[in-house]
Formats: sequence, structure tokens, C-alpha cells
Amino acid sequence: MIRFFSTLPAQALPHLPEAPPAMVAAFVLNRLAPRLWQEEDFAWLSGRAIRIALTEPAIGITLGHNGRGFVALRREGDVTLRAGWQDFLAMMRQESDPDTLFFQRRLQIDGDTELGLHLKNRLDATDWDQLRAVLPGPLAQWLGPA
Amino acid sequence: MRVPHLVCPAGSLPALKKAVDHGADAVYVGFKDPTNARNFAGLNFTDTQLAEGVAYAHRHGREVLVAINTYPLAGKTAHWHRAVDRAAELGADAVIMADPGLLDYAARTWPALRRHLSVQGSATNADAINLAYECFGISRVVLPRVLTLPQVEYVAAHTPVEIEVFGFGSLCVMAEGRCALSSWVTGESPNTHGVCSPAAHVRWDQHGDTLHARLNGMLIDRFDKDEPAGYPTLCKGRFDVAGDTYYALEEPTSLNTLSILPELIRMGIAAIKVEGRQRSPTYTAQVTRVLRAALDAATQERYSVRPEWQRELTAISEGHQQTLGAYHRPWR
Repeated sequence: MIRFFSTLPAQALPHLPEAPPAMVAAFVLNRLAPRLWQEEDFAWLSGRAIRIALTEPAIGITLGHNGRGFVALRREGDVTLRAGWQDFLAMMRQESDPDTLFFQRRLQIDGDTELGLHLKNRLDATDWDQLRAVLPGPLAQWLGPA
Repeated sequence: MRVPHLVCPAGSLPALKKAVDHGADAVYVGFKDPTNARNFAGLNFTDTQLAEGVAYAHRHGREVLVAINTYPLAGKTAHWHRAVDRAAELGADAVIMADPGLLDYAARTWPALRRHLSVQGSATNADAINLAYECFGISRVVLPRVLTLPQVEYVAAHTPVEIEVFGFGSLCVMAEGRCALSSWVTGESPNTHGVCSPAAHVRWDQHGDTLHARLNGMLIDRFDKDEPAGYPTLCKGRFDVAGDTYYALEEPTSLNTLSILPELIRMGIAAIKVEGRQRSPTYTAQVTRVLRAALDAATQERYSVRPEWQRELTAISEGHQQTLGAYHRPWR
């Protein structure tokens, strides 16, 4: 995926439609939800929109929740979390903590801070070991040590 | 020489597990409500999660301490009492509390549950600590961060109560238990609502390369390009005072006591506490690992702070600098 993006001229990326990657993200989250978030109804996200955006190139996806599952949205986020892709990866692999990146000005939070904080704390409370257990070996390894 | 217990923060079950895995002797946590001083959206423990956390810690021979350290709101004391009951029923090793009424309730209802006097109890002298000992049978006190090292030693020598001090983490104006600063702009204070700057009141506005921090609409700081940011608390804002704009109350800094660990051990300090229940499991893991290594080394002769510890702690610190806080201040 990363290799695919790196072969595209960077200036073309912002002009590609956002719907496909956002729909893929919503699909993946919905598949993971029963395993990762059994007790969570995501009521705090219902009717709201969270935008995850890269600093450079200026692309992103907007996601919400309709009470039954995650959905791809085509509107401004109520909150936008913006960082470089390396920093998003480091957060996913639990190598960097979001507060540290925020102190260092590498993570931006625009809009509804409480919604962004809720998302951050929800992800922190997620037991990613359960995901590692079902991922193919190389992917689980890439996500970092348990 | 007894190595002080390392007490680490957890805002979630994965953070609790990280703390245990990386060598914490005890982990302190809170419930998902205003009964503790880190009442943030999505943070903290449900009863199920706490039960699992207690089981995990106990399986590894570690402790879980539950912070119920805010002051009950008028007419809602039953909710705070219930939090004490839940902590006891779920197998917590101790509760950390500040309110005398709540301490009394816990002492009467759950006499076998250890009671720690929270930093929010603001007990800065041996008389105050001994009074809480006589009235509520507290076994430990968390000292407010206003004391110098000689004062810590003096207090420790004049009470039978175990002493816990802060070893690492973000600093504030240190008016623990008495701070009402944020309620000036938000109507909510840490002691009643469990949060200094409720996130619903916080806005980060990007103006070009400059970041504006607003609390309930009030501009409290501006960070230039690449200037490190801090938490959006009123005490750490920069204000125009007589034409001069600066940190009029407190600079965003982090406490770091690595260099004085041998002195704390010599004084017989029972526990070293790490701040940061609001931080991610990654932070808990990093800071626990470093403090564990440093504490174990500090009991040996010829202890010195290793550069890699310092580097790792600097990377995760709030603000521009790390300090020894009040421990090395000349005041009395």
C-alpha cells in the first residue's frame, strides 16, 4: 500500500476520491469491532464525524458511527486529527504516545477536543493483543511486540 | 536498604498490564466518573475491567490502588460511598482518598481495606498526617509536591505513616486539593469534577504555524512554530502582566527525581509515584521501565543517572524542561 502511494506523484493524491479508502476503513473496523470492542456501543461517536488526516500529502478520511456500525462520511470532521504517516504508524505500533507527539507539535487536534480525547482513550483501552492473535504472522509482527 | 515501591499510573486495562509487565510494584487507577481526579472522556475503568486488572496484578504479585480522591458533591455522597464499596468488593489493595468524610466512611465500612491519604488531601506536615492516622487509620500519605527534600525527611521522621512522594511526571501549581483556578473560566475544578481543564472547554486553533490554546473561549497560550506545547491548563498559560507576557503562574515542566533517588531511599520513603493516568499505555511502559531500572540501581553503591534513562524520560516529558521541583528549592 505504502509502495503504491509512493509511486504516485504526491500532488495527485489530494485529488483522488476519499470514499474508497474511507469505506475500506469502515469495513475493516466493523469486522474487528466484535473482537476488539465487545462492550462498547460507540454512542459517543453516533452522529459525529472524526477526520484522520495526513499532514503531507493533504489527504484523509472521515468516519462516523450510525449506532450499528462504522460508516464512511463525506463531510468535515467534528474533530480532525492530523499527523505525518510515520507518526500515525508509530502510534498504531505503540511506539509513540499521542500526548508526547502533541507536546512535540507532531499531532494536531482541530475542533471538538473532547471527541478527539474520547477516541484516543478508546484506542488506548483497546486490547490489541486480541487482534495480533488473529492476524497473519508477518502483519502481527509488524504491529510490534505484544 | 528497602527499595521503595514503584507506583505507576494506568488509565486503561492495557496500561495497567504494561505497568505490571515493566516492573511496577503497584498500579493506581480510577473509575469512569468524577470520583477521581482524572475524569476524562473514555478514560478509566469499568467494574469488569478493574476486576480483570486486579486479577492480573495479583497473579504477578503486584497491587492495585484505586484513587477516589475528589471531594463528594453536596447531595451526591452516596455515589462516592458506592465507589469505595466497589473498590473493596473488586479486590483493590488500597483506596487513595482526600475527603475526611470519605476516609471515615471507608474506615468504618471496610476497615480491612488500606487507606492512603491522597496528594489532594494536602497534608504537608507531620501533625496533619498524624491526625489522619489517628482519625482514619491511614497507612500511607502521598506528599504534596511543595516540600523541599529536608522537609520530606523531617516529615518522614515524625510520623508512623508510610511516605509516598512523586518521582516523575507533569507538574502543576501544586496547590493540591485546594486548586479552584480552572473553575474561574470553566465553572469546574479538579477537586469537584475531577479534571483541571475539561476537554469540552478546550479548543486548539491552528493559525498558520502558530497554535492557540483556548479554554472556554479564553486564549491561554500561543505556541510558535515547533515550540513544545503543554497541557491546556490555566496555571500553565502565558499572561500579559503589566505589559509583559510570560508564564505568570507556572511553566510547563516535568518533575524528574532520578538524581535524588538514593537520598529518598536513605530517608526510608515507602513509595515513589509516577504521574500520568491520562497518558497512553506506551507512556506507562516507557516510564515504568526506566524508573524500575533506576530504583534497582539506586540501592547500589556508585549510583549515577544513566544518559539513556534521561533521554527516554526527556522524550515523553511535558514542557521545555525537567526539574527537581520543590525538592531542591531554598524556601522554607
